[in-house]
Amino acid sequence: MNLESEDKPLIDVQSGMIDRKIFSDENIFEQEMERVFDKSWLFVGHESLIPKNGDYFLSQAGREPVVVTRDDEGKVNVLLNLCTHRGMPVCRYDRGNAKRFTCPYHGWTFSNNGELTGLPLNKEGYEGKLDRSRWGMIKARVACYYGSIWATFNESAPSFEDSLGDMAFWLREFMMGPDGEDDGLEAVEGILKSEIPSNWKFGAENTAGDLYHDVSHNSVQRVGIALTGLRTRHVWNADKNTFRTLNVAFPAGGHAIRANLYDTPNREYFSQWSQIPEADEYFRNAHYARQKRLGEKERLLNRGGIVFPNFAYNSANRTSASVWVPRAAGRTEVWKWVFLPKNAPQVVKDTMRNYLLRYAGPAGMVEQDDFENWHSAQVGSESVAAERLPMNYQLHIGHAKWAWPEPWIGEGALVDEGVSEHAQRVFYDRWYEMMTGKPRVFRKEAAE
Amino acid sequence: MKTQTSEVTAMPAKTTASLSSTLKERVEDFLALEGELLDERQFDRWLDLLDDDISYWMPVARNFEHRKPESEYTLKDKDAAWFDEGKQTLMQRVKQIQGGDHWAEEPLSRTTHMTTNIRIISATDSEITVKCKFLLYVNRREEEVRLFVGKRTDVLRPVGDNFLIKKRSIFLDQSKMLFKNLTTFF
Repeated sequence: MNLESEDKPLIDVQSGMIDRKIFSDENIFEQEMERVFDKSWLFVGHESLIPKNGDYFLSQAGREPVVVTRDDEGKVNVLLNLCTHRGMPVCRYDRGNAKRFTCPYHGWTFSNNGELTGLPLNKEGYEGKLDRSRWGMIKARVACYYGSIWATFNESAPSFEDSLGDMAFWLREFMMGPDGEDDGLEAVEGILKSEIPSNWKFGAENTAGDLYHDVSHNSVQRVGIALTGLRTRHVWNADKNTFRTLNVAFPAGGHAIRANLYDTPNREYFSQWSQIPEADEYFRNAHYARQKRLGEKERLLNRGGIVFPNFAYNSANRTSASVWVPRAAGRTEVWKWVFLPKNAPQVVKDTMRNYLLRYAGPAGMVEQDDFENWHSAQVGSESVAAERLPMNYQLHIGHAKWAWPEPWIGEGALVDEGVSEHAQRVFYDRWYEMMTGKPRVFRKEAAE
Repeated sequence: MKTQTSEVTAMPAKTTASLSSTLKERVEDFLALEGELLDERQFDRWLDLLDDDISYWMPVARNFEHRKPESEYTLKDKDAAWFDEGKQTLMQRVKQIQGGDHWAEEPLSRTTHMTTNIRIISATDSEITVKCKFLLYVNRREEEVRLFVGKRTDVLRPVGDNFLIKKRSIFLDQSKMLFKNLTTFF
């Protein structure tokens, strides 16, 4: 199916122009389900929610409903939550523990690893000949990455780690405790789900790297919700060490992050939780422990980013993640996951949980204004009169450099400094490649 | 909390229910006044109705098996919640709304708070526990409508002839928030 006319490409990242139809056209949305979501690894949850054999929870792999289980052998499974007989969701509870799932319609029964174990009228109706190995629940390929769980139903997609490329460091760092310990997070019980009348890409591109939208957050900045003792919304605003702001993008996979690169190695800790002294003491110790564990990369502060296409995280002591569940061109469900450092004292967990719930989700004093923006931006994507102009992504165009400013940032990293729409251009470059099969603009070989 | 704004001093509400009214009538009058203050955007006066030590909590509902009804709502001080506030943070939320730059509430929503099925569960000299149902209608800008329905358990503290809200637990009849934002007080 042709998505665009010959003379008017949907995406032109070299000139920073994007056709607003990509946010509002239902045909494009349906193509995205096949060409982007079905071919990508998608975040479905965290292992801390299923510690025991038989534990399960419901999640979404893009638009597809899944049940994530730990089976009787301790293995993590991601199963399409649809009966293979008539398509009913077989699991109806958000969370629980079960050896098997029985479909309420005709009673087909599946074990917690997806095998079809119970078949009513097996002898009388199917003469014992139905091939159970073929009619088990549809299983995704699964990757467990430092506590996070990822899935794809696509058999030919590259491995999860290959699809991450040099993004791996950042995702692994996000899943660390504040002290740099691997797999250091646990998910807070209760996913904050809400619904925005907006295209999923508005949220995704924003988290990829939009340092331009501070005006949106004036109100929370004015009030101040971080427990720094200063009027800030981020705790790291209290760190007085100097840094460069980087937009680090990974064009091959479409991933991107925002980071601070501090000028001085092994910088000292400035009090960032001064209103809760016990928490501040924990973060002081964690700061120095992290420096030892991370080596030269300790100069980086991972502020947040996106694993293409729909997993967005906030880090730097704001450990939470949003999954953009695409429902229609103009309708997106947001699943907000909140994480805490699992080995921290209770007072630290309580402090962080309270801060994060005040920050994130539909009642979050920061994200409320983001959700308002994305809803409003949808208005402009549906305007016929505005079609004569593309959306503008030209901010700080043409300055990005490969593997910069330090070579250890990764060969696959294309980096721009400061307030820039670089990460968004990279996001749409990858999106366009997946949607049309045309080669990306941001390719290392093209630059050389 | 030395850096936060002003000193918090709760003042009892002035309602018109006379002393000869029954306790139930006085409680109903108080809850009606409270909703009215929110609907009239008199947020500072609304804050005055809250005890300095208020616990204001709205858990998240999940869909659980019938034999585990106690699991339906997330747990206080442990799990996620839509709201888990004290007076200080409710004051921050009010201040955010009052600045004219909180775009999720600028222009301000039109709200109507309704409380019904009010029932006094227990009453001592120091605490009155009240259950009620609420219906909160929110209209934003032109066509945005949010309808919140659920149950509430309030603990009121009698102060002279009036009350302060000491504890509020809000149980919304939604597991997924069916709207994009939760910018309204309950």
